[in-house]
Amino acid sequence: MGKASWIMREGRLRLLLSVVLIFGLLMVPLSGCTTPEPEDEAEETVEEVKDPYVIGAVLSLTGSFAGLGEPEKNTIEMEVERINEAGGVNGHPIEVIYEDDATDPETAVAATARLIDKDNVLAIIGSSGTGATMGMRGEINRAGIPQVSLAGGTVITADFDPLVFQTPWSNALVIPYTIDYIKAQEITKIGLVTDTGGFGADGLAVWKDLAPGAGIEIVEEQTFNPGDTDMSGQLTRIRATDAQAVVMWSAGREAATVAQNMADLGMEIPLIGSHGNARVEFIQGAGEAAEGFRFAAGKVLIPETYGTDTESYQVAVDFIERYTERYGKAPDTFAGHAYDGLYLVVEAMKRLDEGFTSADLRDEIEKTSGFVGIGGVFTFSETNHNGLTADDLVFYEVKDGAWILAE
Amino acid sequence: MGRAALLRYVPGAVVALFFAALPLLATGSDARYVLKVFTFVGVNALVVLGLALLFGYAGQVSLGHAAFFGLGAYTSAYLTTRLELPWIIGLLAAVLVTAIGGMLLALPSLRLKGHYLAMATLGFGEIMHVAFVEASGITGGPDGFSRIPLAALGGFVFESPQAKYWLVWGAVAVGFIIAGNIVSGRPGRSMLALHGSEQGAVASGVDITGLKVRVFTASAVYAGVAGCLYAHVVGFISPSSFTLHNSVIFVAMAVLGGGRSLAGPVAAALILTLAGFADAVFPGLSRETLAVIQDWQADLYGLIIISVMLLAPAGFAGLYRAGLRSVGVKL
Repeated sequence: MGKASWIMREGRLRLLLSVVLIFGLLMVPLSGCTTPEPEDEAEETVEEVKDPYVIGAVLSLTGSFAGLGEPEKNTIEMEVERINEAGGVNGHPIEVIYEDDATDPETAVAATARLIDKDNVLAIIGSSGTGATMGMRGEINRAGIPQVSLAGGTVITADFDPLVFQTPWSNALVIPYTIDYIKAQEITKIGLVTDTGGFGADGLAVWKDLAPGAGIEIVEEQTFNPGDTDMSGQLTRIRATDAQAVVMWSAGREAATVAQNMADLGMEIPLIGSHGNARVEFIQGAGEAAEGFRFAAGKVLIPETYGTDTESYQVAVDFIERYTERYGKAPDTFAGHAYDGLYLVVEAMKRLDEGFTSADLRDEIEKTSGFVGIGGVFTFSETNHNGLTADDLVFYEVKDGAWILAE
Repeated sequence: MGRAALLRYVPGAVVALFFAALPLLATGSDARYVLKVFTFVGVNALVVLGLALLFGYAGQVSLGHAAFFGLGAYTSAYLTTRLELPWIIGLLAAVLVTAIGGMLLALPSLRLKGHYLAMATLGFGEIMHVAFVEASGITGGPDGFSRIPLAALGGFVFESPQAKYWLVWGAVAVGFIIAGNIVSGRPGRSMLALHGSEQGAVASGVDITGLKVRVFTASAVYAGVAGCLYAHVVGFISPSSFTLHNSVIFVAMAVLGGGRSLAGPVAAALILTLAGFADAVFPGLSRETLAVIQDWQADLYGLIIISVMLLAPAGFAGLYRAGLRSVGVKL
């Protein structure tokens, strides 16, 4: 009898222990919510003035596009602070709620739904990537709120949606500009390597559409998937052709691998990239192999290219100084896209009367005309939600681990 | 009615009533969000019901159920979006395709035992994931499949969060009843015999290969239906929802729920799904806390599986039974 009751007691003990453990596991992370956060207090003092205008930001803070999302978030945080210190929008502070989409369209969609259904945001900035931006469209349409995308796929504004705006130069602008540059280098045969994600797939379609008409022959077409870690196979195929250059269309961190693989394969022909590669991480990731890499992008990397007597130059230099002081490094083009995205929304809010709706905000963003941003000077219309031109682009080359103007 | 019967049926009735009435109870400003989260709970619960049959009753492990979930989702999405067929056709096709898929996988691989079966289903899951990414003409590639029409029956479109919620939980209720009928009859006893001892089951005259194939196929169909519902509730799918990670989460739910039970796994689906959306049930939860939970979610699931295996191998169901036993009720 003694033994039996001991076993029973041990059984109960195990039972009790496991219940405690499971609930403990579930509760430990939750306990954080009871501690009041100083941030909230700060918000309350501001709220005494007027209710904040809430904007959602869906950014790729992790995953393949983490190198894009980080400067984008940095920029928005810095600029929102500045806007609120200067009195916000007609007395209303701006509050931005950040969501990380992990460079995954599905996560972006869930994040968008959360921002809309739970936080009642007035507008959404993002995402960093084309695939995520397109995935979010269903939720954006359902809620009828404006979206300002920071991604460069042509499809974002070519597959026109009245609610969707775009701050980077789309592929439809950058690819013709790149084609002109390639022709000036007397290159007529290229090997194309693109990723299968939104931006790369979009680039591939635009290249195939435009290159033949411009007298450029795509002698080999290769793709890789986001997350791939070796592209030697694809590049070997290109090496076997008479391509005079490799053109790579990808914005992910895999771009550095392409450059490295080319060096490993001893390929001497130039590598030409996209505005998706205008990031320090590319140079750091590819190291020596990045030398000589050329790509078209906006002027913020070398602000003198705006023309030192222009308003754009003043705006950019001011932004670069403040960003560099706060974060210890110069902003890249992606920081610029976020700057433009935030101010396109905020400036439109400033022009509106109290109590405006998301629909009013959309209409007002569309009326943006001559806004001087980092990516260029924006003018939207009822049929054009990209608003930039090829004049806002320059060609860069990597030399000694830094950007210089390509000849 | 005896005390045992009361304890047996009343909790179930209360829970069923709660889930049926939830859309009427959720009236706060974030009601849409809360309902959406509980709709996801229902989708996961449906997959886990299928796994409860396979794992909890028949004792077979599948690490490939996210693939069946995806197969159902893509089948229905393709038919309704690209070919513009009605939703009900998409649903039936999802059932058919996942049934065939489940059977084709089951026939050769269920001759395998123990972890070899788990390996085979793992391989199947990985192959399907690659297919979802690479067959971009059908699946849309890594960027996924968007603008999937909402579920609609006759002229009624499941558009409001309430309608979507009831659609999914209606399916869960039907699935629960069907699974309940399966396990309470002869197949259920055969499955338990199989779980207990394969040789023993054979010796008792159970056609174990046929039984395994049927159970596996049924559980694949549960996942396929869930996938179809998911696609038409969210309107967007991409390969990242159908990875090994998701398969492991489904297994974690089944393990935490416990064997020889259907309600246990559904409860586990509820708790583990809500972990990632904790702000739906605790409205005051800060975004930072939520981000921490989401970052640690995978680790949390792993710890849960380990601690359940070590401390309470019978999961929720076992704890519930032990709880009843300790107050003197015999089931």
